[in-house]
Amino acid sequence: MDGDSSTTDASQLGITGEYMASGHYVLQPQDDDGEENMNDHEDGGTKENYREQDIYLPIANVARIMKNAVPQTGKIAKDAKECVQECVSEFISFITSEASERCHQEKRKTINGEDILFAMSTLGFDMYVDPLKLYLQKFREAMKGEKGIAGVAVGESLGEDLTEDSFTNQLPTGIITDGQQQNVMVYTTSYQQFTTIPTVQQIQFS
Amino acid sequence: MAQTNPGKDSQASEAKKLISLPTSRVRLIMKSSPDVSSINQDALFLTTKATELFVQHLALTSFNNGSGREANSLDYSDLAKTAEETDTFHFLTDILPKKILARDYLESLEQLQDEDADF
Repeated sequence: MDGDSSTTDASQLGITGEYMASGHYVLQPQDDDGEENMNDHEDGGTKENYREQDIYLPIANVARIMKNAVPQTGKIAKDAKECVQECVSEFISFITSEASERCHQEKRKTINGEDILFAMSTLGFDMYVDPLKLYLQKFREAMKGEKGIAGVAVGESLGEDLTEDSFTNQLPTGIITDGQQQNVMVYTTSYQQFTTIPTVQQIQFS
Repeated sequence: MAQTNPGKDSQASEAKKLISLPTSRVRLIMKSSPDVSSINQDALFLTTKATELFVQHLALTSFNNGSGREANSLDYSDLAKTAEETDTFHFLTDILPKKILARDYLESLEQLQDEDADF
């Protein structure tokens, strides 16, 4: 998985190892045309034509999630949004490869939920696992039950909740509510305030 | 995003309200990994949801990392710094190299060449 669309290889850049000592460098054009990476490959069949890095999630969705994650008055640079867009594809591939490997080891062909959760845990994202399990529960209930099941309002998309609720000075939270708007489970993106998952409180963002 | 089709479609759209990213695109990215044959529904949902958490996590960590220098904003260098300094995000270092302007690079290159050049 090498980003050879932006040259980081020292030999290609023709510069000495000393110059590169403090890290990788990539040339940045003076005028950054940011739209280059907005590929919109809708067909699923021809995976040979695209490297996995070329397929991204829509930047609008990614940008919205970022915007809701940082304090409301914060600004996000355009190149940061594009960058996260690429990181996301990398993340998905990262998790998928690990899950796929486990799948193969156990001689199965279909990647299931457990494979994904296990991959997260293995790769250092175990702080996601417990919230994800709760979301999965809600998802399964929504898929299994009939529409309008009593007591469970999966309701608005959480993306919309995060923008419309007034989290002016708070970090945005993901909330699963029942029909009476009582919080069933709350998590915050700071990962400092997991009310139901004590182990995660050790993780701090400074 | 929601459709009011009866039957299974309405269940699916109820469930999809739990996430704000397109699962079809996530599936596409997953399938571009080698040796991936099929992905069950739970796995797709979990990956999509995890991706949301990841975006939040990365954005917020990078924002906090960078707020010492450029208060209240998040830019590329904050992300690159976070990838280097945070174990969880270390897998991103290959795609988040620190950037220099071409102008600065060429200047540095000239300096290196001047040291060797015979005029």
